[in-house]
Amino acid sequence: MANKQGFPSDLVNSLIDAANQKIIPKGDFLLREGETEHNLYFIKTGAIRVFYLTEYEEHNIRFGYDGSFINSLSSFIKEKPSEFYIQAIRKTTLLVISKEKLREIINKNDDLLKQYCTLLETAITQQIDREIDILITSPSERLKRVLERSPTLFQHIPLKYIASYLRMKPETLSRIRKDP
Amino acid sequence: MKINSDKLIQELLTITENARIAAEKLKSLDTFDLNRKKDAISWSILECIEHLNLYGDFYLPEIEKQLINNKGGSKSPVFKSGILGNYFANLMRVENGKLKKMKSPKDKNPANSKLTITTIDRFLKQLSLLKSLLNQSREVNLTKTKTSISLSPLIKLRLGDTFRFFVFHIERHLLQAFKVLENVDVKARATH
Repeated sequence: MANKQGFPSDLVNSLIDAANQKIIPKGDFLLREGETEHNLYFIKTGAIRVFYLTEYEEHNIRFGYDGSFINSLSSFIKEKPSEFYIQAIRKTTLLVISKEKLREIINKNDDLLKQYCTLLETAITQQIDREIDILITSPSERLKRVLERSPTLFQHIPLKYIASYLRMKPETLSRIRKDP
Repeated sequence: MKINSDKLIQELLTITENARIAAEKLKSLDTFDLNRKKDAISWSILECIEHLNLYGDFYLPEIEKQLINNKGGSKSPVFKSGILGNYFANLMRVENGKLKKMKSPKDKNPANSKLTITTIDRFLKQLSLLKSLLNQSREVNLTKTKTSISLSPLIKLRLGDTFRFFVFHIERHLLQAFKVLENVDVKARATH
């Protein structure tokens, strides 16, 4: 759930300039399991979730809201079918950049390429933070960590989805918010 | 009711495979048709599938648990049905493409829950797990291994009957789903 403030600005501006705007209604899927991710999305306004579907439930693994980038990164990089679904939680205005366009931009000069590396490094460290989240036994501690990274999370994403991300029941999340 | 164990598993695997093919077909329909209902209390296609998902949520982990516990010991060439298990299995059976009307337990009524294309994807994953469990059960005693049922924790069924009931139940509701499709009003489709 990175926000725009942390991003290298030249790269972000170049990507935004080259992107196509798209408005998607609440509930629509950007990507389904089995489809290959060809795009990177920048969210202007709205809310997006990335989830993994098992036989029994949907597991939310990532969110995106105003000012963040999102996609099915592993599928994007490997050019293989996605294990995840990407869905709009609310009506969302997106900027869409294709992988080809992205490649064109980052190969323009060394600076842009370096900035892309910084972006990927951020994504990697966020991924590791998330791995640690899941290993932490205390629900309150898990909540605390996520709020440190994304203080405005509850303003953008409904509680039931956050509960799934934190791997706890919505009732548990409600309770620990009131009495942490 | 007595049947050769391998023959039973094979028959159930065949019905499961047919279910998979049917569900893949349903995936190609658009969301409007999948949510279409004949009237307020009838189920849409997605509601039929979600009903099956709800049963799977109980029975698949339960079957998996009993296979791991393996209290019934190793396989026996013949499966002998229990009285109650046979009753439930036959209740679900589809005879000559006809369905007997039945009421579903309240907690397994999917009506009005939010359903989308992931409903069918989830069902396909459950079918894949079911196929795996059927294959695993070739090595256990289908008569002596028991499972609970969703209606009451006090009642146990023989694993062979649980599988029969569960698989016939799937067949029944998929037939219901396809009948919903047949009843689609052609005029309404044209104006959509």
